Amino acid sequence: MYPKELESFLLKVQKPGRYTGGELNSIVKDKSAVDIRYAFCFPDTYEIGMSHLGMKILYSLVNARKDAWCERVFAPWVDMEQIMRENSIPLYALESGDPIRDFDIIGFTMQYELSYTNVLNMLDLAGLPVRSKDRESLTPIVIAGGACVCNAEPMAEFFDITLPGDGEEVTNELIDLLKEFKAKGAGKREFLEAAARIKGVYVPSLYEVEYNEDNTVKSVTPTCGAPEKVEKRNVADLDSMFAPSEFVVPFLEVVHDRTTVEIFRGCIRGCRFCQAGFINRPLRRKSPETVEAQCRAICDSTGYDEISLCSLSTSDYKGLEKLITNMLPWTLEEKINISLPSLRADNFPKELMEKLNAVRRSGLTFAPEAGTQRLRDVINKNITEQEVLSTAAQAFAGGWTAVKLYFMIGLPTETEEDIRGIADLAQAVVDEFYKNPDKPKGKGVNVSVSVASLVPKPFTPFQWEPQDKPDTLIEKQNYLVSCVKTRKVSVSRHVPWTSFLEGVFARGDRRLADVIETAWRKGCRLDGWAEHLKPELWEESFAEVGIDPYFYTARRRSFDEVLPWDHMDYGVTKRFLINENKKAHAGETTACCREKCAGCGANRLNGGVCDEIGKTVV
Amino acid sequence: MKSARLWFKKDGLAVYISHLDMNRCMTRAVRRAGIPLWYTEGFNPHPYMTFLLPLPLGQEGRREPLDIRIETDMSFEEIKSRLNAVMPCGIEITDVREPIMKANEIAAAKYEITAVFENEGEAQGFACGAASVIEGGVLNAEKRSKKGIKKVNLCEMIRSFDACAEEKSVKINTVLAAGNTVNLNAELLLSALFAEFAAQPVKTEIVRTGLLTQALEAFE
Repeated sequence: MYPKELESFLLKVQKPGRYTGGELNSIVKDKSAVDIRYAFCFPDTYEIGMSHLGMKILYSLVNARKDAWCERVFAPWVDMEQIMRENSIPLYALESGDPIRDFDIIGFTMQYELSYTNVLNMLDLAGLPVRSKDRESLTPIVIAGGACVCNAEPMAEFFDITLPGDGEEVTNELIDLLKEFKAKGAGKREFLEAAARIKGVYVPSLYEVEYNEDNTVKSVTPTCGAPEKVEKRNVADLDSMFAPSEFVVPFLEVVHDRTTVEIFRGCIRGCRFCQAGFINRPLRRKSPETVEAQCRAICDSTGYDEISLCSLSTSDYKGLEKLITNMLPWTLEEKINISLPSLRADNFPKELMEKLNAVRRSGLTFAPEAGTQRLRDVINKNITEQEVLSTAAQAFAGGWTAVKLYFMIGLPTETEEDIRGIADLAQAVVDEFYKNPDKPKGKGVNVSVSVASLVPKPFTPFQWEPQDKPDTLIEKQNYLVSCVKTRKVSVSRHVPWTSFLEGVFARGDRRLADVIETAWRKGCRLDGWAEHLKPELWEESFAEVGIDPYFYTARRRSFDEVLPWDHMDYGVTKRFLINENKKAHAGETTACCREKCAGCGANRLNGGVCDEIGKTVV
Repeated sequence: MKSARLWFKKDGLAVYISHLDMNRCMTRAVRRAGIPLWYTEGFNPHPYMTFLLPLPLGQEGRREPLDIRIETDMSFEEIKSRLNAVMPCGIEITDVREPIMKANEIAAAKYEITAVFENEGEAQGFACGAASVIEGGVLNAEKRSKKGIKKVNLCEMIRSFDACAEEKSVKINTVLAAGNTVNLNAELLLSALFAEFAAQPVKTEIVRTGLLTQALEAFE
């Protein structure tokens, strides 16, 4: 429920449903009956945040406790921000309408680097100082989780705590601890020191960073008993792990509005550019029975007519065929569509695809990522042109006329030939369509090629690689477009400047805090939205603070450099990543975990177990 | 297959649900309620569900019709109670009946409008002024349609109009043309009137209380 003073403005903004709350399954509690109030903040718009599975899980998890109430908060769009600022309406939580500055925990989920300024903006709209050191009282404690916190350093001055790894267990432990410290009237510092002793809790203020003269990190030293290495939290058993049986059902159309159930965590593939594939290891699998029961419960409580079985590479799920065969009778009966994101072209049986299309047909997408076999070997995307073409031929035979292909440019060792290869592969897919004797009459084929730019990320074998500058990326994009000779292939490209900024923060250090704050004070926010990204303000901010952004992106790092995130332990060993980097430059592939364990080391976090290979010696 | 006309109330937070979102919201509610909705048999089957007259964003509805078709013979009482058990707050099914009239028989809608002003004087002035403008028969406004913006005389679409001031607020009871051919959004009438008198109300509230036929009888 929104605050009363907002009422007269609601019809003046775009999509008032973003700000009203009151959706089905949203949870309202008696605030006098709970000890901990938790504001779960997604630092982007309602439509994006409401699509995020992690938020749904933690929302239900915290609300399953009698002593805590978790509410949702999103970044207001610019129209609403203006109204809130002009009328001094502080950022509030959707369920109660209460200002979040009075909450005990303000938790952000950090999914992409371009939401960093939104965090500052939301704290400021809440009426709180943006820097951790300026928030002196015990509560609200500002915490963050999600993929980006594997290198929380650029945001280290703003967050009190970050939670690397799986949030399901550590969230409850942290709430218990805060409840105890709040009851005994403890101070913030005392609480943070105690929190740092929980596994999977990182308190940036307890670490001192020293730099070399060349601006690289010299050392990161823990103080006050904080651990030398912060090990990410790992949930061992996905079957007994908390999972929601209800989702809040938005009124507005959001990006992903459906039942989403995770089928496994981690990935067996080892694509060398993919951060998610490394930081979520080891592989942990949910049983088909658990998946099915969770799907059913959510469909019943929401009325959704679509289920997404989600993971990093869904066709790699052992037992996928059995799971779908079990689910089809009731999903067909109830006219529920099952969608499988992240399928691979090489291992998805045709029969299964046909079964799935019995309800509704969805789009067809492949991600060859690179245009030539040589470069696909470099990035370890173990998929051949033949596999892409034969799957496309199958799809065309099944009546499809549109295919999407995802590629990346700016990959290590890339040449013009590799870029031309993207256009050639797209053309080969077009040719495949016309080879089909039964192709639908009067219909052409449409191959859309989407080209992203590589942003080298921490904890991947490419974490030492230089990133292409925006100008280089533009040249490469233009060259690609010039190679496309048919209108049946359309090319859509990412904004290179976006990838550049993402790259700065992805591998940045603590000194970037001043840049982020300066840029935000100058008016930067919603940087992930092309229409709101303001490169000139960012450039001004880098110059004012005296930081060269290319130091973070354009430089090749040596293997012995201390990386700003080296004190985080995500399981995968540095030795393994170095080896993978060397193999990339040699054009050698690494077999997927199903064929042969590559020895990444992540099973150490899971009592030596990786669900892909079973128990091994640690 | 059986047809049912659901009559529902939409108020409170639900007034911020747009018509498009309402469609999705109701489809899901029917699914949660386990009502065996009839699906069209085309290439892309979808549930048969029709809102007879969209209710604009921000307006309250007291008696809004929605037609559905179901596969089996479920009693109207059962449909109503099952739906109300799973409805989001602000939407309530008040009645389920057999459809009597056809959608194209809707010709007008009845509204109760409240506009609150800074002071009594402003309210008095607006109430008298509005009534006399409408009596005069000319109130031009720009009406947006699919074909573009055109200038229309709103008075031609007003079937009845009555405004009276009570302290700081003005209560308007009005019947406006509604339906597929000629339709006047109460919001448009209000903003045209406010513009005419340069009036700046602190708050307005529009409630659609019912739908009527050409003969101004209740649409059933």
